Amino acid sequence: MHPDAALIEFDHVSMHFGMQTVLEDLSLAVRRGETKVLLGEAGSGKSVALKLAIGLLRPDAGQIVVLGENVSRLPEPALFALRRKIGMVFQESALFDSLSVRDNVAYRLDEEHQMDEAQIEQRVRECLAAVELEPAIDKMPGELSGGMQRRVAIARALATEPEIMLYDSPTAGLDPITATNIMEQIIKLRDVKKVTALMVTHRLQDGFLLATHAWDAASNQLKQTPKGDQRTSFMVLHNRRAVFDGSGSELRSSQDGYLRNFLQST
Amino acid sequence: MGTIVTPTEEPARDSAVAGWVKGHLEGLQAYSLLTGRAFRNFFARPFYGGDVILQMDSIGVGSLPIVVLTGFFTGAVMALQLASTLAQYGQIERTGQLVALSLVRELGPVLTGLMVAGRNAAGMASELGSMVVTEQVDAMRALGTDPLKKLVAPRLLATLTMMFFLAVIADLCGMVGGFLYAVLALGLDARQYWYTALQALGSTDISQGLLKPVVFGIIVASVGCYYGMSARGGTRGVGRATTQSVVAASVLIILSDFLISRVLIGIFGS
Repeated sequence: MHPDAALIEFDHVSMHFGMQTVLEDLSLAVRRGETKVLLGEAGSGKSVALKLAIGLLRPDAGQIVVLGENVSRLPEPALFALRRKIGMVFQESALFDSLSVRDNVAYRLDEEHQMDEAQIEQRVRECLAAVELEPAIDKMPGELSGGMQRRVAIARALATEPEIMLYDSPTAGLDPITATNIMEQIIKLRDVKKVTALMVTHRLQDGFLLATHAWDAASNQLKQTPKGDQRTSFMVLHNRRAVFDGSGSELRSSQDGYLRNFLQST
Repeated sequence: MGTIVTPTEEPARDSAVAGWVKGHLEGLQAYSLLTGRAFRNFFARPFYGGDVILQMDSIGVGSLPIVVLTGFFTGAVMALQLASTLAQYGQIERTGQLVALSLVRELGPVLTGLMVAGRNAAGMASELGSMVVTEQVDAMRALGTDPLKKLVAPRLLATLTMMFFLAVIADLCGMVGGFLYAVLALGLDARQYWYTALQALGSTDISQGLLKPVVFGIIVASVGCYYGMSARGGTRGVGRATTQSVVAASVLIILSDFLISRVLIGIFGS
C-alpha cells in the first residue's frame, strides 16, 4: 500500500434504510496520520458513515476502501480479521455490562488466544494507563461514571493497537470538563501513537480543539499550536449529504449560509 | 348514505397489505437465515464451550423447579380427572397407562416447551435485545466476534439439549405425581400402576416424546434469539421483542406439536 494512499476512502457512497435515504453520494478520504472530523446535526448520517467504515453496515451504492480492503464487498469472516486493525468507540460506550473493565479491555485478546494471560494482563493495564484508568480495572461498567465508561471504551478499542480509530460522538452527554478530558486522550493518541482517525461529533468545539491543539509529551498536557494541526480536517453533513470538506480555518471563514448558521448555533 | 371511495384509497390499501406481507416474508427470511447460520456455527471455530455450559446451567438447571412442579401436578391432575371417567367403565386400573401415554406423548413435551418458552425465550429476547439497543452487539462485531457464534449458537445448542432432558424429567415427575394420587387417594395397586404405565408406551410414544422436546428447544432458542437480535427502538423495543418472542414460540410449539404427531403417527401408526 502506498504510504500516501488513503487509509479510509468513501467513493460516492449511498445508504438507505427501507425507503429512507440516510446517506447520499458521500466521498471522503483520510490519509495515514490524519484525523477527519465529521460534523452535522442529529440524523445527518454521521454515525451511519462510521458504521459503514467498519463494515457494520453495507452501502447500497458506491464503495468503501479501508486499509486497502473493499469493506463494502468483503465477506463477514474477512471483515472480522480486518477489524483487528480498527478500533471503534461507540456513542454510549457499548461496554459489555456483564464483564468487568479488565475483561472488556481484554475481550479481543481473549478471543484470539494468541497471548498468554500475563501478556494480556500487561496489555490491559497499558491500555487503561493510557486513559488514566488503571485503578478501575476490577470494577464493573455499571460502577463507572459516563466519562470513565467512555475512557474504558477507548482503552478497549486500543487493545489490539489499531491503525485506525473511529469515534462516534465520544463526548456526547458528558459535562464540559469530562468532555475535554476525553478529547485530551484522543489528541494524545493522535500525536503519540500516530493513529489515523475518523471522528463523528455534533460538538464543534471538540473538532476545533483537535485542530488547534497538540499533545506536549514533555509537560504531559495539551498545548495550543500557533498554525493549527494540519492533519485535522473537517467534513460537514447536512440532509444526508456532505456540504463541506476542508480545513478548520476554511470552515471558520466559509460564507455558506447553512455553514454560518451551523457554526453560530453550535 | 354510501361511502364515497376516492380513487387513491384502493392503491393505498393494496400497498399497505403488500407492505405487511413483504415485512412478514422478510422477517421469515431473516429468521431462517439466523437459525441456519447458528446451526452451521455449531461446528465452526472458535467453539464457545464455556458459553454453552453457562446457558445449559441457566436454561436447564434454572428451569428445573418449574418443570418438576408442572410435571408433578399435571400427572396428579391427570390421574384425578381420568380416574373418575375410567371408574364409570370399570377400568380404573388403567389410570397409569393413560397418565403415562398422555404425559409422554403430549403433556410432558408441550408443557415443558411452553414453560421454557415463557422463561427462556423471554430471557433471551430481553438479554440480546438489550445488547442490541445499547450497541453491545455492534461492539462485539467491531471487536471481531460473530454474535451468531458467540450469542446465538450456544443458546440454541444448550436449549435443544436441555429441553430433551427437561421433558424426560417432566414425564417422570408427572408419572410420580399420578402414581402418588392413584395410590394414596384412589387406593390403586402401586405395582399395577407402574406395570400398566410402562407396558402402554410403544415406539411411537417414545419417539414422539423424545423428538418433540428437541424441536421445541430449537423453536424456543431460535425465536428468542431472533426477536432479541432484531429488537429496535430502545427499552420499549426490548419489551415488545420479549412479548412477541413468547407468543411466537408458544404458537409455534403448539403448531409443530400437531405436525410432529401427525407425521410420526403416519410413520409408526397410532
